[in-house]
Amino acid sequence: MSLTQQKATLVPDPESETGAVAVLAVLAGDEAYGFPLSVVREILVPPPLTEVPRAPEHFLGVISVRSQIITLIDLPKMLNLEVEQTEPYGRVLLVDNGEELIGVAVDSVIQVYRMEPEDIEYASAMGAELSEYVVGVGRVPSRSSSDAQDMLILIDPVSLLGG
Amino acid sequence: MSDPRDNVQQEFLAEAQELVEALSRDLLLLDEAHHRNERIDPALINELFRSVHTLKGIAGMFGYRHVGAVAHALEDLLDDLRLARTSVGQQLLDVLFDSVERFQRLLALEDPQSPEEEPGVQAYIAAVRSIGQEPEEEEGDPLDKYAIEPAVLSVLTEYEEHRLRACIREGLQLYRLRAAFDLAAIDDSIDTLRDVALDDAEIITYLPSLEGGNEDTIELVVLLASRVPEADLKAHFEGRYGAIEAIEERTHLPTLPPRLTSIPSAAVSMRAQPDEDPSQASLRSVANSVRVDIRKLDHLMNAVGELALVRSAIGRIVDRFKGESAHHQSVMDLDRIGRGFERQLSELRTGILDVRMVPLGQVFNKLARIVRQAARERDKQVRLVVTGADTEVDKLIVEELTDPLMHLVRNAIDHGIEAADERTRVAKPAEGTLAFNAYHKGSNVVIEVEDDGGGMNAHMLRETAVARGLLSADASHELTRQEMLNLVFLPGLSTTSEITDMSGRGVGMDVVKTNILRMGGMISIASEQGIGTKITVTLPITLAIIRALIVNIASRTFALPITAVREAIPYVPEEVHTIQGREVITLRGETLAICDLARLFGFRSTARKGGRFVVVGSMGNRELGFVVDELIGQEDVIIKSLGKSLSSARGFSGATDLGDQKVALVLDAPALFTEYFDGPDALQALETRL
Repeated sequence: MSLTQQKATLVPDPESETGAVAVLAVLAGDEAYGFPLSVVREILVPPPLTEVPRAPEHFLGVISVRSQIITLIDLPKMLNLEVEQTEPYGRVLLVDNGEELIGVAVDSVIQVYRMEPEDIEYASAMGAELSEYVVGVGRVPSRSSSDAQDMLILIDPVSLLGG
Repeated sequence: MSDPRDNVQQEFLAEAQELVEALSRDLLLLDEAHHRNERIDPALINELFRSVHTLKGIAGMFGYRHVGAVAHALEDLLDDLRLARTSVGQQLLDVLFDSVERFQRLLALEDPQSPEEEPGVQAYIAAVRSIGQEPEEEEGDPLDKYAIEPAVLSVLTEYEEHRLRACIREGLQLYRLRAAFDLAAIDDSIDTLRDVALDDAEIITYLPSLEGGNEDTIELVVLLASRVPEADLKAHFEGRYGAIEAIEERTHLPTLPPRLTSIPSAAVSMRAQPDEDPSQASLRSVANSVRVDIRKLDHLMNAVGELALVRSAIGRIVDRFKGESAHHQSVMDLDRIGRGFERQLSELRTGILDVRMVPLGQVFNKLARIVRQAARERDKQVRLVVTGADTEVDKLIVEELTDPLMHLVRNAIDHGIEAADERTRVAKPAEGTLAFNAYHKGSNVVIEVEDDGGGMNAHMLRETAVARGLLSADASHELTRQEMLNLVFLPGLSTTSEITDMSGRGVGMDVVKTNILRMGGMISIASEQGIGTKITVTLPITLAIIRALIVNIASRTFALPITAVREAIPYVPEEVHTIQGREVITLRGETLAICDLARLFGFRSTARKGGRFVVVGSMGNRELGFVVDELIGQEDVIIKSLGKSLSSARGFSGATDLGDQKVALVLDAPALFTEYFDGPDALQALETRL
């Protein structure tokens, strides 16, 4: 799969005339991340976790959701970010990466944003060294001050543990 | 998933796949008959024709243009064949065998109309068309000599007419059978008649007699050709079916009657006439069976798992109230109901498992084609012997098994079985033998791939391993002969063909082993130079559900498949010795290597000192003790895959839901054995031993 194919996962909302995308913003280890709302199947209170010995560090383990075994990942670790993880995660997102459901542990869910194309800066255009799981960065109105903007790290669900 | 178009598409693909498999099977029979110079059964060619004809029909309906085009060309060729306008030869067989692969590729296409396939398809069709027709010798129509009613002759299809002439030329006697059939069961009755008649005679055609029958029955006139004396046939058919009479040769020549058109419509619909509307052909099911997506069965299995949880909840309630006399009778009733429930549940589970089972013959048929192809490519003579084709195994395993077995077969023919002249030189029969044997052994199924070829050179394998730096020269001298043979499974040993050609085995045995292990199976090798090689694959019958020993390791719950467990004994730290860097204990005078799972997994054992257990695992001829903290009990568990993302985690074959959202990882015993005995650490241990 080529890079461009992989990153073309922010599908615009078909009802939007401007090509806007619905993005679910979540907080995990001091950073805000955005997932295309179309791939988020469910938001759960964390079920009991079963560790998988000798799995890579970003795998927290497996959980059972209605008898289905789902892999739970630690997002900041997956992106190789140095984070002091002290609080236990507060929510689990069930994300469909096109092949299987993946559980993503997050601290909390912020809100859903509708992002216009001009709010998104794609990784390919930034030329920066970004993780392969990141599509780009999105700007959303700040929650703390009215004239500032917050940054969302936009996650590519297909590359997230997918093929 | 519930898109009806998708379902229809799946239905088509499944049916097409079945037809291609039938085609492949019949081709092998045809090939065998041809090579043995036996008379080729016309029914076989007719079957081939029908498969291709039906495939053409349904491919057309579903827009599989290429499949349709190829099937159409083959249909013409097979029609020529059954009308004896061409004959079975090597070129024709090759073209037909090619079709199987070609159909499978075309059916797998994402875009069934893909223009990229066009050139290949056209080239193939040209190859099919290039097989010329042979002119039929005409020496006066033999039919003219018989007193067959014009009404019968006039409705014969071209094929039937051809068969009739052919039978007369072969000197078969013609018979006319009149029999009444029950209208409601007419298809079955005709099938029975076919079965009864087939050994003795060939049924040319059957059609309703114009006079006989009433509301519920219909009288058919069956035209038979047979070598069997009239008296014997009479004994066979009369009484059971009706009157049979020989059709005599007549003394004067008639003129052929004009074709009649006023045939009762029933005559057309009842006969399996190949020129029927294709949509008709696809509507009729081949057998009393349904095709089911395996995911639906997984879903059912999950539901059964949930029911088992309900059952154990009832059990807990019964236990809680058992002491109380107030509800004594009700509790006893509930207990009884609970037990009944459990019995039914276990029957349900067995039933579902049974549905998942398919005979290994499905794989063997595919392999038979590979055998033929590989033998031809290598110009070797190979006889295939299959036993236990009806041994049943889980559908998922069958799917996963094809590739590894194909590899073994290729290796056996490429590197095992010698060329005919070489075999003659060492006083072996020129024709090599390759055997597939399958049988059940406990809850496992065993599959052997055995050849009588040159065998493997163990010392050559050892030298190769040393030359490739997989083993130090010193360590290599410590190896037993069996250990030398096992080197063939090392990654990196058998990757270059010129070296493995000498050692007698081909590429990718490590991949084969990995695939077998992934299914929870084992592979072993036995080989004698000059005599042959036998590869034995042992697999669980089903992957879906297993009986497991539930254990605790560092307060975490794990399941260990019971098939791998021989016994469990208390762990006595004082009895542990270290030999060559490995911990061992002595069990009934034998040394048993032990592996502390808590340590292996990087946990700190929470068990009190002396309270732990050694679970003795056994795989093939090896034994290994797993040290665990606590034994919980036995339970039937449904294994679920860990998903692609965790497929790299070593030592686990899946996970299982123990209820209340509690998940236990299922230990992968074969993988742990391999890791312990053959992994990089094991090689290191081998080195330090010296």
